[in-house]
Amino acid sequence: MNRTIRVSVGRVSNPSPRTDDRLARLWRLALVAICTLILCSCRGPVGGRGNGPVANSDAAASPGDSSGPSPSSFIPHPSSFSSPSPALPQQAFPGAPPAGAFDPQAQCPACPPGWEMGVPLPYQPTGPWAPPGIGLPWPQDEYLADGGDQGIPAAVTASRQVRGLEMEDTVAHFDTRDGQTIVEPSNQVCLYSPRFRAVRQVVGANESDQMVASSGVTQPVRLVSTGDAAIPGSTKQNRQTVRQIGQKSVTIARTRQGDGAVSTAVGPFAFHNGFKPYEDLAVIRTGKFERAELAWLARGTTAAITWTSDQAVQIMLDRKAASAAVSDQKVDTLYSVDEPPANPKLRVIKVASTPFAEVGDTVDFTIRFDNMGNQVIGNVVILDSLTTRLEYVEKSAQCSLPAAFSTSQNEGGSVVLRCEIAQPLEPGKGGILRFTCRVR
Amino acid sequence: MVTTFRRLADNVIDSGQRVAGRMAMAALVCLGTLSAVSAQQPPVHFWHPAGLPPGAIGSQQLQRGGPLPGFFQPVEITAPQGVMISLAEEGRFGNPQPVPVRAGLLVGQVYRLCAINLPFQPGVEVFPTIEVIDRLYAPRGLEARFPVHIELPREDLEMAAQGKFVTRVIYVENPQAALPAQGIAVEQSWFDVAPGMDPLAVADTLGRPIAIVRMGGRVPDQGAGPDMSFLFGCPPVLKLPPQPSLPAPQARPKEQAQPSTPPAKPDAAAPAAKSRSEAAPR
Repeated sequence: MNRTIRVSVGRVSNPSPRTDDRLARLWRLALVAICTLILCSCRGPVGGRGNGPVANSDAAASPGDSSGPSPSSFIPHPSSFSSPSPALPQQAFPGAPPAGAFDPQAQCPACPPGWEMGVPLPYQPTGPWAPPGIGLPWPQDEYLADGGDQGIPAAVTASRQVRGLEMEDTVAHFDTRDGQTIVEPSNQVCLYSPRFRAVRQVVGANESDQMVASSGVTQPVRLVSTGDAAIPGSTKQNRQTVRQIGQKSVTIARTRQGDGAVSTAVGPFAFHNGFKPYEDLAVIRTGKFERAELAWLARGTTAAITWTSDQAVQIMLDRKAASAAVSDQKVDTLYSVDEPPANPKLRVIKVASTPFAEVGDTVDFTIRFDNMGNQVIGNVVILDSLTTRLEYVEKSAQCSLPAAFSTSQNEGGSVVLRCEIAQPLEPGKGGILRFTCRVR
Repeated sequence: MVTTFRRLADNVIDSGQRVAGRMAMAALVCLGTLSAVSAQQPPVHFWHPAGLPPGAIGSQQLQRGGPLPGFFQPVEITAPQGVMISLAEEGRFGNPQPVPVRAGLLVGQVYRLCAINLPFQPGVEVFPTIEVIDRLYAPRGLEARFPVHIELPREDLEMAAQGKFVTRVIYVENPQAALPAQGIAVEQSWFDVAPGMDPLAVADTLGRPIAIVRMGGRVPDQGAGPDMSFLFGCPPVLKLPPQPSLPAPQARPKEQAQPSTPPAKPDAAAPAAKSRSEAAPR
């Protein structure tokens, strides 16, 4: 009776505790469910990744089954194997065979004997794959990369020192007429060149006993010192809102296409050997991109960007390109000159002479730079911090424009090649820089 | 009075249950979080010590998944000048071949070699084993051009002939942490691990272990005939020809070529563009 009274009093006086109890119970149940889900989800099989073998198990045999699946089972899923990792070149093999790899009629001059007969099958289709715990892209350790601006973005300080230029970076910086210093990275070039080392352990063994003998030579592992102080990545570049985006003004045509004057890249400081086969591209020779050469450019670079725009007739008035204003009230065409806003832009393209190299081989690198903006830029400096395994061949750098070369050591023990263009670069003008490295 | 005591007792019990429930919830959350953390895969390629019996590491590597089963990894075995190498095939050693010897070896299998004609130990034979525990991912058509370099140096062969057991872990060097070795190294760069350290673990910190070479410590019983356990079952070997020549560079289609491009005068590569350049006002 007393309890009934207490409960009723409680109901009348304060109805919220019962609601709180329900909420607390629901919260506990939800928490138990979440924890159960976490406990169960972390016990899954190792190979159960979304892009791992299990995800493609419909097309692949089990990993331990080496009895020889049928050739039809090696056809990869197009959505899974359409392209390798973006950080590796197109020809990189991330674990999936290309289409038609198991065609017995396919020609494969470098394949081992017996390939034509279909045995033995070299690999199974597992798609872009990486060992558990190892992140993609895979296998990055077999490639030498050079170019781009990885890690901390490179920036030029007020004292004209370049910060954030890490190993493998290739950037160019220039000054604009309004006093800005802009840094432009190049594309990344990858070379397939694995290098092997060994770790040895010697143990003295007797007839039936075994004891560990100290090795004759103890050489401690020396790490590559990374003494470069990381600067805060606070180099933000405020971009002003571009007005009249929808109108295709003369700025666009001039920025992307120029006035056809980019062919003067090769000036009096011509190369000794002319153009080499790997750089015999229109975008390297003249700076003008041709769509037909997209595949060849993609072969020399990691990610070729389409800077294409069809040629069109341009009207020049007072040394400035004019845009056509079309109106339905007049039958004629009115040409007007519009002063374009300042848009400094430097395009840097880097290609290599070969996509693979062995230790001791020499590789030629060619950098094509063009002023794609609409104003003169000055103090153009191209910096290439070579990776550790690339040894710069002394006095191999040459430029189509008057330039001063210098080298310095980077944090990996390799070389930072510095090419300083002597003259300002006018809009539409460009040049070519070429140097040679030896793979070590 | 009784009602008051009972109410106090109920409050104490309720508060105790609430505290216990909260502690249980906290323990459950901690357990779930720690379990998730412990389930993370460490960023290493191998979790096993190199001292495991031959074949154990490779077989466990196959169970981790990936495009490893059935792949014949090309290797190139080098040794001092004059040493002859023969691979175990079909229960016996094949014909000795001068170094370098190139062959395709299955990932995860153990291959027994016989090194004879040692110039420093005439008449002595050494029987190394090679266990390929990973593979290379060379671009299509370049698998045989970029084999795994397995070197049997003179010092190791000498120690193996003297009865010591040498374990050599070959790994693919991480380009980001590669040492700037000057010049072209004739011999494969290597170093000894400190006593008590695991060479596989050390190699895993510097790159990706890809093969284990063991030599010394055991010789076959000549009188007992072929010993398949000594030869590790003679797994299949893919014989490779000598070093293939460089694949011919792909010639550009004729319609893409620039016939008017003299090699000595790059200025004339695009005469039309040049004319436009000269016509452009300055």
